[in-house]
Amino acid sequence: MGDIAYKKEELMVIEASKHINDGEIVFTGIGLPVVAVTLAQKTHAPNVTVVVESGVVGPQLKLAPLSIADSKIMRRAARLGSLREVLACILQRGMVDVGFIGGAQIDQYANLNSTVIGDYYKPKVRFPGSGGANPIASHAKRLLIITPHQKRRFVKKCDYITSPGYIDGPYGRKNAGLRMWNPSITVITDLCVMDIDSASGKLQLAKLMPDVTIEQVVENTSFELIIPPKVDVVDLPTETELNLIRKEIDPEGIYFSNKQN
Amino acid sequence: MTREVSSSIEKLSKIEYKERAFKWWGPSPDEARKIQVSKPKELKDKRTTLKDAVKNLITNGQNLGLGGFVNTRVPIAIVHEIIRQGARDLTLSLQSNSMACELLAGAMILDKTRVSIKRVELAWWAYEVIGLAPLLRYLAANGMVELDDYTNYGMAARFKAGAMGVPFMPTRDHGGTDMELVNRGTMIECPFTGRNVYLVPACHPDVGLIHVQAADKYGNCRIFGPLCTCPEIAMASTYTIVTAEEIIPEESLRTYPNLTEIPFVAVDAVVTQPYGAYPGATYGFYWFGMEHMKMFRGICEEFRVTGRKDKLKEYYDRYIYGCETFDHFLAKISSKELREVKELDGNRPIIL
Repeated sequence: MGDIAYKKEELMVIEASKHINDGEIVFTGIGLPVVAVTLAQKTHAPNVTVVVESGVVGPQLKLAPLSIADSKIMRRAARLGSLREVLACILQRGMVDVGFIGGAQIDQYANLNSTVIGDYYKPKVRFPGSGGANPIASHAKRLLIITPHQKRRFVKKCDYITSPGYIDGPYGRKNAGLRMWNPSITVITDLCVMDIDSASGKLQLAKLMPDVTIEQVVENTSFELIIPPKVDVVDLPTETELNLIRKEIDPEGIYFSNKQN
Repeated sequence: MTREVSSSIEKLSKIEYKERAFKWWGPSPDEARKIQVSKPKELKDKRTTLKDAVKNLITNGQNLGLGGFVNTRVPIAIVHEIIRQGARDLTLSLQSNSMACELLAGAMILDKTRVSIKRVELAWWAYEVIGLAPLLRYLAANGMVELDDYTNYGMAARFKAGAMGVPFMPTRDHGGTDMELVNRGTMIECPFTGRNVYLVPACHPDVGLIHVQAADKYGNCRIFGPLCTCPEIAMASTYTIVTAEEIIPEESLRTYPNLTEIPFVAVDAVVTQPYGAYPGATYGFYWFGMEHMKMFRGICEEFRVTGRKDKLKEYYDRYIYGCETFDHFLAKISSKELREVKELDGNRPIIL
């Protein structure tokens, strides 16, 4: 088992897929998230429904699509509607179990920035902006964040908050008028898995990736991460999982860099 | 706008909240209604050329509503014609887009006396897997354009409010983020639940720019694949230009009226334009022209990094200014490429 070569991103996707349960409604974008959902469907959660913000409800995904408006993400859908319909009548209405989001910066309350680096009015780098990230972060029952673990990403303070985590503590979301006051948030990185400490609304270490130490995680995190007394290790990938990703879901390797672990 | 309530974002944010008087960035709901009440809306043949549609409807200082989503059913042919004819001090309103806005931004960078963007109300502007939007980065970094950031639901709700003739829409997102401090929405205490709720102002573009698969000569439109926010944008706009891959007979349209996503009353000009979203995709007709999009983005990125405009100018001279119409642009794309994007769509089922 231990000698199967795998890419860090592959293990991140496999771990993310385990956070999706059968029968759930999953709001996803493109990239690693759609690979994770498709993997979940092909393993333990065949009856997962995918919703995509362009208006797609319940597609039967085969290959990893390149765009959320790619016709591949619409394959055999149950309904092709509008943005307003899926973002309001499905997501805001409360039908979504799991949502995937991401960003260039994340702080200790799991607030995310996907808008600017630097001053908002004259940014060093202007990113795309919210898109569907903020609505997903505002409404899904559980949030999954897949991100590389770097000090410059795991910041003390975001240059701009695009998508709400716990905002400033356990009551942050309630005060902001959000309906989902206490979502579960799981951050999956190449070093570890984090989740929310419900008492403080702050991120805590949950699991380490294989062969990673707590020190490595701390070194690569700018904010003070809560370290509980007991920290598990993420399971190594199985050959079946890796084959599904490599041969069926992303045979062209669109979403995985060539770096090996 | 004076705010009565807010989340704790002000305490957290790096941005200092500046109180600003609220302004509509296009027609106000009252102005939009007045135009709608007075303009002729009768059932008539609205077929025209893009040249005439843009000449008659587009003027300096307008708010243009860009249809489509990211690069699906984006109004590229209409944008080409607007660039050719020129339009200054534009406000763009959109959901998520890349090619259509980058083309306008590039024209502005080359000659701002010809095309210029003053403001953009948006949710998202980039190329997804291909990368960030180089010209948005350039305009933003140099403070050349005013941005008004909402969520994708926020923009959809704003167009829907415009389409419904109401001045705002309540949303349950935006709260607790910097959008509270920078955009023109506002948080209030809901009079019914007593909880905070975020209001976004209606968006009424002066002209909606929409590309669809099929329309009849009156402007009744059929859309296949995701609807994006096109019906809302068409109905919120005071005028709407539609380009269609195909014009279908009235008889066919009236046989399946449930398939009409935009009714003729919301449309002012109908233009037949095959490949009207290229290099974007149109479900049932063609997939993304990835190579062309990457080529254009590469040129823009090179300009952003080096500041040299020669390749950008070459692109516009060859593909826009050097073309009389969008069909001339298509004639410059290899027939192999146009055939390939058709094959890549895989004949998604549509009803014409």
